Amino acid sequence: MKKNVKILLTLLLVMSLIFIPTGCGGGSDQTEGVSTFRIGSSAAFDTMNPLSSYMQVTYEFFLLIYDSLVQYDEDYEPGPCLAKDWSVSQDELEWTFHLQEGVVWHDGEPFTSEDVKFTYELMLETGLGYMYSSYLEGIVDIQCPDELTVVITTDAPKANMLQNTTPILPAHIFGEIPEEELELWANEPPVGTGPYKFHSKGDNFVKIVKNQQYFGTLPYVDEFVYVNYDNLDAMAQSLKLGEIDGASNLNPAQLKQLVDDPNIDAISGRELGFMQVGINCWTASESGGNPLLLDKTIRQAMDLAINKQKIVDMAYGGQGTVGTTLINPGDFFHYKPTADELRNYNPDQAMALLEGAGYEDRNGDGVREAPNGALLEFEFITIADNVEEVKSGQLIAADLSAVGISVKNVTMDSGALYDRIIEGSYDMFIWGWGSDVDPTVILGVLTTDQIGGNNEPFFSNSRYDQLYLDQQREMEEDLRQEMVFEMQRIVYEEAPYLILIYSNNIQAIRSDRWTGYRQIPDGGTYFFNLTNLNYKSIRPID
Amino acid sequence: MHKGLVIKKLFYALVTILVVLVFNYLLFRVLPGDPLAMMMRNPRATPEMIDSVRQLYGLDQSWYVQFFTYFKNLLEGDLGISFIYKAPVSQVVVARILPTLLLVGVAEIIAILVGIFLGVLAAWKRGTSLDVGTLGFSLVTYSIPTFWLGMIMMVIFCVGLQLFPTSGMFTPGKSFVTTGAMLADLARHSVLPILTMSLVLIGEYALTMRNTLMDVLSEDYITTARAKGFRERVVLWKHALPNALLPMITIIAINIGFVVAGAIQVETIFSWPGLGRLMYEALSARDYPLLQGIFLLVTVSVVLANLLADITYSYIDPRVKN
Repeated sequence: MKKNVKILLTLLLVMSLIFIPTGCGGGSDQTEGVSTFRIGSSAAFDTMNPLSSYMQVTYEFFLLIYDSLVQYDEDYEPGPCLAKDWSVSQDELEWTFHLQEGVVWHDGEPFTSEDVKFTYELMLETGLGYMYSSYLEGIVDIQCPDELTVVITTDAPKANMLQNTTPILPAHIFGEIPEEELELWANEPPVGTGPYKFHSKGDNFVKIVKNQQYFGTLPYVDEFVYVNYDNLDAMAQSLKLGEIDGASNLNPAQLKQLVDDPNIDAISGRELGFMQVGINCWTASESGGNPLLLDKTIRQAMDLAINKQKIVDMAYGGQGTVGTTLINPGDFFHYKPTADELRNYNPDQAMALLEGAGYEDRNGDGVREAPNGALLEFEFITIADNVEEVKSGQLIAADLSAVGISVKNVTMDSGALYDRIIEGSYDMFIWGWGSDVDPTVILGVLTTDQIGGNNEPFFSNSRYDQLYLDQQREMEEDLRQEMVFEMQRIVYEEAPYLILIYSNNIQAIRSDRWTGYRQIPDGGTYFFNLTNLNYKSIRPID
Repeated sequence: MHKGLVIKKLFYALVTILVVLVFNYLLFRVLPGDPLAMMMRNPRATPEMIDSVRQLYGLDQSWYVQFFTYFKNLLEGDLGISFIYKAPVSQVVVARILPTLLLVGVAEIIAILVGIFLGVLAAWKRGTSLDVGTLGFSLVTYSIPTFWLGMIMMVIFCVGLQLFPTSGMFTPGKSFVTTGAMLADLARHSVLPILTMSLVLIGEYALTMRNTLMDVLSEDYITTARAKGFRERVVLWKHALPNALLPMITIIAINIGFVVAGAIQVETIFSWPGLGRLMYEALSARDYPLLQGIFLLVTVSVVLANLLADITYSYIDPRVKN
C-alpha cells in the first residue's frame, strides 16, 4: 500500500505544480501611467505589406500606421491629412496638392512629395495593392515641382480624386526592394507617418504605440493591441472579464448578453457592404452553370420568393436590413427601387411570373419544368464554416421549393467555392462584399472587365460598363448620382445578384474604462469604419 | 533487440516516409484549382506581375521539374515559401511547434499517468464503487465533445472562479521584465487548455488499461502466481501489469505520433497558436507549401513514434525480444 500512496503523492505534486495558478485571472494589467487599449478581433493579420494584404483587420491597422493625402471626417467628407490643401485646374484635369510641412517617417527620414509620386506610380505600374490602386485609375502623370507640392494629371476629369485614401509609402524603404519581390516582402516593421508606430507582434497580437513625432493632434491612448481570437464566445467572455477593452465581429447572441452589462457599450452598427446570392449568368459554352439561370425571369422569381426579413431574423438574429440594390441605404448614391420595380417577398407573384414564362410542373412532382422539359433544379453553394450563410442557404432552399424550384444545398470551404466561381462551374452561391465610401469599387465588381476576377456571376451589360466609365469622370455630383442610380437599376432588373441583407457589425467597448468614442458615421460602427477617428479620440476615464 | 532488426525497422520507416511524401505531393497537385488564383486575388495584377510570382514559386515549370525541385530543396532543408504568410514554411512551422508540444505533450504525460493509474485501480477493485466511479468518469470524459468540454471549463474557471485567462498563450502585447514573470504568465494561460486536453485523453487510457488488465488478471498464470502465495500487490504490479501494458503502448504511440498535428478543437477554443490551427488555415487558403510542410512533420513524427513503439515492445515483450 505504501508504494501506491507514494505514487499518488507524486502525481498530486506534479499536478499541483502544473495547475497552481500563479496569479489572479481577469483584469487588464495597466502599467502605471501607460494607457493600453486591447481590441479583440476574430480575424488574423496576414502581412504588414499594404501592397499584398487582403485582410480587413490589416487595413484597419494601416489606417493608424500610414497616412493618405486626404482622409474622411465622421460624415465621410474628405478633409486634409498629408495634403493640407489642394486645387484643381479649370479643365479639371490637373490637381495640385500642397503637403504638410515637417512631416517625418517613423524612422526619422523626412517625408516629401517624392514619396507620394513613388507610391502612386508603383501601384499603377505593378497593379499591387488592389484595394488602393483602383482609386488611382485615370492618373497619367505625377510631378513634384518642389518637396511639398504634388501635381497630378488625369486623362479625364476624376470624380473620386478626393476619395483616394491610398496610404503613402516610404520611397526610401519600398524603393530598395526589387519590384518582383514586393508581393512577398514582409515589410516588418512597417514604417509610416501615421499617429501610431509598430511596436511588436506575436502569435496572436499586434501592438502599436503612439507616435510622439506625429504632425497632427496627438491621440490620447499610448498603446493599442490587436488581439486575435479563434473563438468568438471566448472573446465575448474576455471583454466581460476585462481582459480586452473592445471587440468587433461579435454575434447576435453575444450582443444580447453584452447590452445588459452596465460596464459595456455594445452596438449593432451598420457597415458598408452586403450579403448576396450570386447567380451564374455566363453565356459562354464553357459555363458550368445551369442554362435555365440565364433567363432573368427565373432570377427575378427567386428574388420574389425569398423571404429576406426571415433570413435577417432567423440567420442574423435580427441584425441587419433587407437588401435591394448595390449601394447601402443612407448613402448619397443608394438607389431605392420604385414601387413598380421593388420586389418584396411575394411567393404568389413569383409563381405567376414562372407560370407566365412557361415554367410549369407538368408531372406533379413539385418541381417546375421548362417548356423543353428541363427541371428547375439548381445547386446552391454556401461556405461551410459560416453558420449564418449556411442557415440562410437552408431558408432560401425552403422558400424556393415552395414556389416549385428545387435547390440542392451544398457546403464547402471558401477556397473550394472560390475555385468553382473562377471556373464558372456553379449555379448559385452565397458570398458577401465589403464596400467603400466612393461607389466606384463596388460598382466595378459587375463590369465585363472583371469577369474572371471579382465579377463572380459573369455578368456583362454594355450600358452598365459605359456608365461605369462615365460616372468616374462626372464631376457634377447630381449628374454622377443619376448615372450610379441607373447602374443599380440595371443590376436590380437583371438580378445577377440577389442582395439579401445589408450587414451590421456588432461591436463593444468597456464604457467603465473608456470615453470619447462614437459610432461613425451616425448609426455606424466604433472600429472598422474606414476612419481612424475613434482611435484618436478615445481616452481612459481617470 | 538485434542490431540488424533495428536497421531493418529504420529502413522501413524511411521508405514509409518517402512514400507518404510522394503521395502528399501528388495529392495537393490533383486538388482542383490553381493555387495562383487564390494567391493573386488581384484582378488588376499585370500579366508580368503574375508571371513573376509564378516563377518565384516555380509554378511555371513542368510538373516533373517541380517534383524534383521539391525533393532537392527538401534535402537542403528548404520547404518553400508559404503563400499566406509570405515567409519560409520552416520558419512558420517552427514558430508553432513549441506551443503544440507544450499543450499536447504535457497533456499526454498527465493523461498517461492518471489514465494508467485509474485503469489499474479500477481493474484491481473490480466491481466496487471505486470501479464504477472510475468507469463512469472515463466513459463521460472519453465521449464528451471536446469543444463543449472546453467551453464548460472556460465558464467555470474563467467566468465563474476567475482563476485563469480565457485565451492565448501570453497576455497579448505585454512586455515581461523577467523570464520568471513570462513563465508565470505562460503557466496561467496554459492550465485550462492542458487540463481540457488531458481530460479528453484520460478516459481513453483508463478504459483501455482497465479492460486489458482485467483480461490479464483472469489468466491462468495469475492464478498460479496467487497460488504460489505472492502478495496481491506483487501479482498486480509485477505479473499482470507488464503484459497489460502492451496494448497501452500501441495506443500511446499512435497518440504521440499525432501530438504534432496538434489539437484543432482545443487550440480553437482557447486561441492557442498551435499547429492544428495552422493546418486548418493553410487548408482553407490552399497554401500548398505550408500544408506540405506540416504534413511532412506529422508523417515523420507518426512514423518515428511507431518505430519507438516497436523498439519498446522488444524490451518489454519477451515474445518479440527473442
